[in-house]
Amino acid sequence: MPDPEWARALERRLAALGVAPTRRAEIIAEVAQHLAEASRDALDPREAEQLVRELARIERRAVLEPPVFGKARHTLMTTLWQDIRYAARTLRLNPGYTAVVIATLALGIGANAAIFSVADTVMLRSYAYPDMDRIVALNEMTRDGKQMSIAWPTFQDWKAQNRSFASLALYRGAAANLTGDGQPERLTAAVVSSDLFGAMGIPPLVGRTLSANEDTPGTARVAVISERLWRNRFNADPSILGRAISLNGDAHVIVGVMPLAMRFPSRLTDVWLPLGPVVPTFPQSRGVHPGLYGIGRMKPGVTYEQAAADMDRVARHIEAEYPATNKDVTVAMVPYFEQVVGSIRPTLRVLIGAVGFVLLIGCANLANLMLARAERRQREIAVRAALGAERRRIIQQLLTESLMLAAIGGTLGLLLAAWMVKLFVASRPVTIPRVDLVAVDGRVVAFAALLSVATGILFGLLPALRASSPDLLSSLKHSGRGGGSSSRRLRSALVVVEVALALVLVAGAGLMIRSFVKLMAVPTGFDPEGVVTMRLTLPPAKYADVPRWLAFHDELVRRVAAIGGVSAAGINSAVPLEGGGSEAGVLAEGQPIPLPGQVSTVTLFQAASPDYFRAMGIPLVRGRWFTDKDSRSGPRVTIVDESLARRLFPNEDALGKRVAFEFRHDPANPDPAWREIVGIVPHVRHYGLASEPPFVQLYTPFDQPPRYYEERHPTMSLFVRTSLPTDSLTAAIRREVSQIDRDIPVYGIETMKTYIRQETEQPRLSVILLSGLGGLAMVLAVIGIYGVVSYSVAQRTQEIGVRMALGATRRDVLRLVVGQAFLLILAGIVIGVAGALALGSTLRSMLYDMSPRDPATLAAIACVLTVVGLIASAMPARRATRVDPLVALRAE
Amino acid sequence: MEYMSGPIDRELKKGSAELLVLSLVEGRARHGYEIGKLIEARSRGALRYNIASLYPLLYRLEKRAWIKGQWVEKAGQRRRRYYRLTAAGRGVLAAQRSGWKNFVAAINRITGIEHA
Repeated sequence: MPDPEWARALERRLAALGVAPTRRAEIIAEVAQHLAEASRDALDPREAEQLVRELARIERRAVLEPPVFGKARHTLMTTLWQDIRYAARTLRLNPGYTAVVIATLALGIGANAAIFSVADTVMLRSYAYPDMDRIVALNEMTRDGKQMSIAWPTFQDWKAQNRSFASLALYRGAAANLTGDGQPERLTAAVVSSDLFGAMGIPPLVGRTLSANEDTPGTARVAVISERLWRNRFNADPSILGRAISLNGDAHVIVGVMPLAMRFPSRLTDVWLPLGPVVPTFPQSRGVHPGLYGIGRMKPGVTYEQAAADMDRVARHIEAEYPATNKDVTVAMVPYFEQVVGSIRPTLRVLIGAVGFVLLIGCANLANLMLARAERRQREIAVRAALGAERRRIIQQLLTESLMLAAIGGTLGLLLAAWMVKLFVASRPVTIPRVDLVAVDGRVVAFAALLSVATGILFGLLPALRASSPDLLSSLKHSGRGGGSSSRRLRSALVVVEVALALVLVAGAGLMIRSFVKLMAVPTGFDPEGVVTMRLTLPPAKYADVPRWLAFHDELVRRVAAIGGVSAAGINSAVPLEGGGSEAGVLAEGQPIPLPGQVSTVTLFQAASPDYFRAMGIPLVRGRWFTDKDSRSGPRVTIVDESLARRLFPNEDALGKRVAFEFRHDPANPDPAWREIVGIVPHVRHYGLASEPPFVQLYTPFDQPPRYYEERHPTMSLFVRTSLPTDSLTAAIRREVSQIDRDIPVYGIETMKTYIRQETEQPRLSVILLSGLGGLAMVLAVIGIYGVVSYSVAQRTQEIGVRMALGATRRDVLRLVVGQAFLLILAGIVIGVAGALALGSTLRSMLYDMSPRDPATLAAIACVLTVVGLIASAMPARRATRVDPLVALRAE
Repeated sequence: MEYMSGPIDRELKKGSAELLVLSLVEGRARHGYEIGKLIEARSRGALRYNIASLYPLLYRLEKRAWIKGQWVEKAGQRRRRYYRLTAAGRGVLAAQRSGWKNFVAAINRITGIEHA
């Protein structure tokens, strides 16, 4: 073994390079062999120096030489493998570049995959209902577009006269107290006609669905239950059929179990009850719309238009026959799918567009980066092309690299998407249909894969095409400094596009933010902090007697108020922001009793206990609160909201005046039940933050309920102002309730803040997502501007040096560089503003009290982007001003 | 290639080196010193590779699996590393030859230098 000094020195240096010991020994042995052949004693230090340098290139740098030689006998697979290995080494050796590219791609593809998984679940993936496009939701509708539920006799006519539907069903949402073994439970139920199961097309998991004879009164009380209830409550008992359960105090025999796929009328529906037992309660008037809704399955071969025309014919027939009730009343039909996704679609569309934009901006950046890299390698590629490398091979090699980056970015993006989706689903958004089904599945993976390939080609092909068509002579002439004018133009165009896309996105985010701020500033009329609400529905059979019904609630309020940590407790028949309630025409004493349909002022009426207002933090504007003296036997009183006071008593003091909302539309016997106004409170938002119908509001003392409530007891909600955590409060309340009546479930437990959060959920999600995407877009665009200006400064170092040598000041140079960047930014902003104006209308449905083309927002965003862009270009421009003319010129 | 009288452009030398090595090991396996000597001799001294440029070149080609080196001990001789052309290398050589031929022909057509 040679062990002279040169060998030890070489050994040390190779070891420092990270060359493996056996390999080191081989190299030294081979050099020793060479020296021996040449009859030389030692490797001289300069040669050793060069050798190590060259070997370093082999081990690290030299591998960057692309294997673009040769074509004969090279199958696609072998060259591909070569290219992949080469790309892998290249990327490993440029960790900074690789990290930037992969991070950009992971964010872009991840955001796209996440949004896709939501959109796919909601809008694209087939629902469990077979031939869902044949399922149609039906309603009655006035010709001026007001929708109503379906009158019972009208539905009978629809069913008898239509020629389009294979199944036409009626349903009504309901709830049922399940009692018996275990804790009482409040179930989401639906009263449905037997055709519902045929219309949805889902067979039962166990037993049978409802049968046609159960649509008529007088049949046994039966129930179909959900798979969820069957498993959770009955441990998937195989002998469940025939078992009787107590619903609302009545025994019902279970005849079937529906699989989880049956999510109609709601995914929470746990029990389907037959129509028969409730048919006798349906009003026989066609003018009464008792909350019944229709759903039907069109016959095979019948188109939606044909069905719509058919139902219109039926409606006209009914209209002609019963003009008194059905004049100008027709059928509202909407495909069931539309009904499910209609409200979320605009938001999803905007988000899909937004993530697409971010990815495009990312691609523009990457294309720029690749272009710059490809140009640095242009000369090498030119030489190789001249030596026989085919253009196809060069493109293949460059594309392999970009596709590999895209594949890695896509994989990471998919992980990111899975994480984001998990987070999103865990936040339990309630306004997105089927959100419980959202997951990153095979379809999302396929989408991400497709997107990665498309992205890789998008940002890789342009640079590859450019780099592979080098004008040999021009490339050699430029002696390694790429960047001809055409590529500078391409680069500039990419920046303009980036700025334009970013502006559109940021403008969208800005609009959403401003709209959201406005929405959050809407006065609710109450103070949600520390308020918990829950519901109790008393079984009508047991509590038909009004005093008994009142006594239960009075006792409940008394007991709850006494719980430690509760500062106020009250009940109300309506829940603010929930959108429900009872409405009626209202008039001031002295006004004539209006005819039906001529009511000018509609009021929401509610029965509230004295402490409801304190519990909800509703301030008293004037007058007094209800007291215990406002009892059933006392004089009728009411508290009204300011809007009622203003509307009915525009120029007078409403206090002490009398109003009525329970009058009959019968001039002979109006029986108005006047109530004296004893207090005035602010208007409380009951229907939502974004939209509130022009209804005024009034409250009656709970112990003086409206007559309507005496006949039909509403579900009462309890409102508790407390410092207790919701769980312990709920437990305490459940204890108190069970001491009054152990069969009453407490349900619907929510804080009022949750109500507000749900109310603002979609805008909040849009704001969060769009702001995030807008911010990302802006960062990417800024990076793009910075990159292009830096590159151009580097390219023009000599020119700048010459200018400075000829007397240009630093300020001149700064102005030159930043001025050019400014032109690009300006072009991007002009195009972006045009784009934002054009796309504005897609945002319209998502904005509250804002024009989607709000000039102030657009102007502000344009300014911000310009300033940020100029700062980004000023940094490399400052570097340009520090060019030493002598150094720059010497490099020539 | 008599017209290559002056110092040969570095790039050209680099670009052509692979072709030269591949050509030399095409017929039979050769060791590094032998390859260097043959290039020098056949180019009549116009091309010269020292240890520092020759071996990295060989290692690079070996890394690409165009040539394959193997230690061989022959009776009465010292241990030497011989390089032979692989199947892949054969393909590359064919491609490079025709590419080079075309390149030279093109250059000649432009510069008007007749082939000697």
